Amino acid sequence: MTKTCITRAIWAPDGQECDVCIDPAVDAPSTLFAGDIPVPGVAQVTPAGEMKIPAQSRVIDAAGKLLLPALYDLHTCIEIPGRSKRECIMRAGEAAVRGGVWGMLVLPSPAFCFDNGAALDSFREAAEARSVAEMMPAGCISLGMRGNEQAPYNTLSTMRGVRILSDGESFPTNLLMLYRAMQYAADLELIFAVRADVPALTTHTYAHPSSTAYKLGLHPCPPCAEEIGTETLLRLAEATGARLHLQLVSTAESVRIIRRAKESGRVKVTAEVALHHLLYTHENIGNYDTVYKTVPPLRDKGDCEALLEGVKDGTIDCIVSAHTPCTPFSKKQDFISAPAGMVGLDTMLPTLYTKLVKPGLLSWTELVQACCLRPAAIASPWEDEEGGRATAPLLLFDPEEEFVVDEASLACGTLNTPLLGEKLYGKVTLPLH
Amino acid sequence: MPEIEKGEIDHALEKWAEHIASSHAREETLGLVGLVSHGDVLAQRLTRILREKGFRKIQCGAIDVTLYRDDIDLRQARLALRSSDLPFSTDGMPLILVDDVVQSGRTARAALDAIFEYGRPERVELHCLVEREGRQLPIHPDYAAFRLTGEGAGDTVRVLLTEEDGKDIIEY
Amino acid sequence: MKPRKDLITIESLSDEDIRTILESAVSMKEIFTKSVKKVPVLRGKSVLTLFYEPSTRTRSSFEVAAHRLSADVTTFTPSTSSVVKGESVHDTIDTLMSMKMDYIIVRHKNSGIPAVIARHCNASVINAGDGAHAHPSQAFLDAFTIREHFGAVEGRRVVIIGDILHSRVARSTSCILRRLGAQVAFMGPRSLVPQMRYTGIECLADWDAVFTWKPDVIYLLRVQNERIENPFFPAADYHHAFGVTEQRLRRIEDEGMAVMHPGPVNRGVELCDAAMEYKNCLVCNQVENGIAARMSILYHLTPGTLS
Repeated sequence: MTKTCITRAIWAPDGQECDVCIDPAVDAPSTLFAGDIPVPGVAQVTPAGEMKIPAQSRVIDAAGKLLLPALYDLHTCIEIPGRSKRECIMRAGEAAVRGGVWGMLVLPSPAFCFDNGAALDSFREAAEARSVAEMMPAGCISLGMRGNEQAPYNTLSTMRGVRILSDGESFPTNLLMLYRAMQYAADLELIFAVRADVPALTTHTYAHPSSTAYKLGLHPCPPCAEEIGTETLLRLAEATGARLHLQLVSTAESVRIIRRAKESGRVKVTAEVALHHLLYTHENIGNYDTVYKTVPPLRDKGDCEALLEGVKDGTIDCIVSAHTPCTPFSKKQDFISAPAGMVGLDTMLPTLYTKLVKPGLLSWTELVQACCLRPAAIASPWEDEEGGRATAPLLLFDPEEEFVVDEASLACGTLNTPLLGEKLYGKVTLPLH
Repeated sequence: MPEIEKGEIDHALEKWAEHIASSHAREETLGLVGLVSHGDVLAQRLTRILREKGFRKIQCGAIDVTLYRDDIDLRQARLALRSSDLPFSTDGMPLILVDDVVQSGRTARAALDAIFEYGRPERVELHCLVEREGRQLPIHPDYAAFRLTGEGAGDTVRVLLTEEDGKDIIEY
Repeated sequence: MKPRKDLITIESLSDEDIRTILESAVSMKEIFTKSVKKVPVLRGKSVLTLFYEPSTRTRSSFEVAAHRLSADVTTFTPSTSSVVKGESVHDTIDTLMSMKMDYIIVRHKNSGIPAVIARHCNASVINAGDGAHAHPSQAFLDAFTIREHFGAVEGRRVVIIGDILHSRVARSTSCILRRLGAQVAFMGPRSLVPQMRYTGIECLADWDAVFTWKPDVIYLLRVQNERIENPFFPAADYHHAFGVTEQRLRRIEDEGMAVMHPGPVNRGVELCDAAMEYKNCLVCNQVENGIAARMSILYHLTPGTLS
């Protein structure tokens, strides 16, 4: 394998210009940091101009561009209703790389129901062949994601390398099943990725209790449902010793609950927030704009702020795309009938930069921690079957370049993003070699 | 733009009332129905003059014929409706429809349709303040106070009346 | 008023639109007194009533209105089975488009459906009630009734009592009344009255507060037991806590307040029997004015224009 040297790049977390040599053959301890977290897998770093370029290495002149670890996305659903699995895999992979995402956790969905070894094998094979991005499947918590019978965790984890379990969109309503699953899986070091909810409080609800919900006559989804669910899951995790990853945290109070739990040190818990919950509120729904239909619903400005605060102080470990393709036809329906979700992979890093970093709401260090290092640490995608070494790919980002999000710039196969027609900053180069 | 002034209009109304008086008996019940807007104002003024002349059984009403017009599909926006006020039975009564301007005859056609839905009058006459050329239907006024004829005469006519517009004037 | 294709919400109308439609409703009502209760204005036009939720009253009211304007009326009953099977509204729209309708009157349990239909067809779409969202024709008939009773809406104080949360009537009627210069307050079970910070409308705690507020109109909403899957309040309490009881009726009579209700009334729940006989009970006027208001709405919409 050839060495790659990147010269005169600006290391995004500290803004220093440097030369970097990536040598896949050398197992070097990292010398690059994002804040206090080391970035694994870079061979050699020197201040700009001081690198001795090794022979036969590829040289990339990165003057004026930012260098940072590529993103890892812990929440994607890649199924495009009505399309073949092969196409779903290919498109999601292409979309991810465009948005600066090198690897992702693929949550089970009806077409990708990872509740048995064969489903995982065929998915891995297809992903290997067709996806330019790394895809790690999350195993199902229950058979068929129906919430009543446990999936074969041992088969999924020890034989097929699954590290994270999730029932995708569905919340396990049967707490006894979840309790026993957590007890059983605790020893297997499996992580339970669950969205906190109390379904009895949220069925047939479509919007955050707000002026929007009132104006549009949409039944309100009380935030306390998520908060009660969060408490419940934390107690279950504490009681069973299982590792818990809270998906799609959306309310300010949930952030406080998680902060307290983390401070207590009694629960092994991590948490994520969807990018759209940081950027949009119920007001964006306007006059029934189905693009903004999400689960949990878009909430208040105060929630956005508390969530961002949670990201900055590490209470919320990572920002995810919550990528969910929905066909244009399905989103053309009325708000109540339309499916929930947005696509976000294609535009991930440019959106993060344009909407959070550029206006000064999030630093590059915080971004690298929340979108690259912490999610990768949770999924630990590099600990391969052979106990392979740590490699976080790097990417180059040109913050000066701008583009308008249109059909051509979206590889994911559907158009359900509110960014359509919007100007974003930043061009991603990934992979570098 | 030539004008017909208030004095002339007042004079014309007097002559108009005399014409009605000459063709109807004083003891006869007679209905004057004005087409809103402006026709109703003229009908009221005529009624007042005729009452002074001893027509005691004269009745005055107003109808809005918008809902009977034939040009609803030619317009994008719908016209606002005005109140009709026909507080008496028209059955068996001679009626005079009073309009401000008669040109194509289409409004008069609509008025005839409208008036027959209130009852069955004995006979109906059509009177107007201004008659213009350009008839599109075989409907002619039985009486017109002013006739605008000849080349280009009355291409645009505006009738303003004090009760509606603050002053009496006819511009053409 | 500017050409307008659809009527989906009161909010989407300009003040001029609201006044024009109300004004024309007066003229429409005059038609009822003629020997021929019909005008030819919509002759040859086709009106379709598309009711996914059963409602004999609203549907008949629209049908009578359309007939009085000489339009042809077709009743389209979406089969319950196709709705259960999840037939998309778009497939229904395709069917409707091929029928070349001029006006489509829609009622659906989902908020927002009429807007979707309006966006995808040339016909004028009239929202006859969608979920908990809007019921603009009801709003017009309510405003018309208040105007008729009091001479004007402006300056009147109207308290709307009942299940505000699920009520499209409360939303649309409060909106039109406020646009016309009335004061509106809400009162009802706490689980069913959205907070003032969401609605911008004052919430009164109970009947005492209602009487202290000195309303001109007491507007009771129908208890929609069929729309609430899990009850929001104990049904047995309702009349005693929120209805017009005989005792409250005496006070209402003393102060000459008007009583309104969108119908059909659950006697002994929202209103006691005696309240229906009260001289300022405007429920029957509302029904009659509903036809005039709907005639005015049909007349003022122009199919095929862009809203």
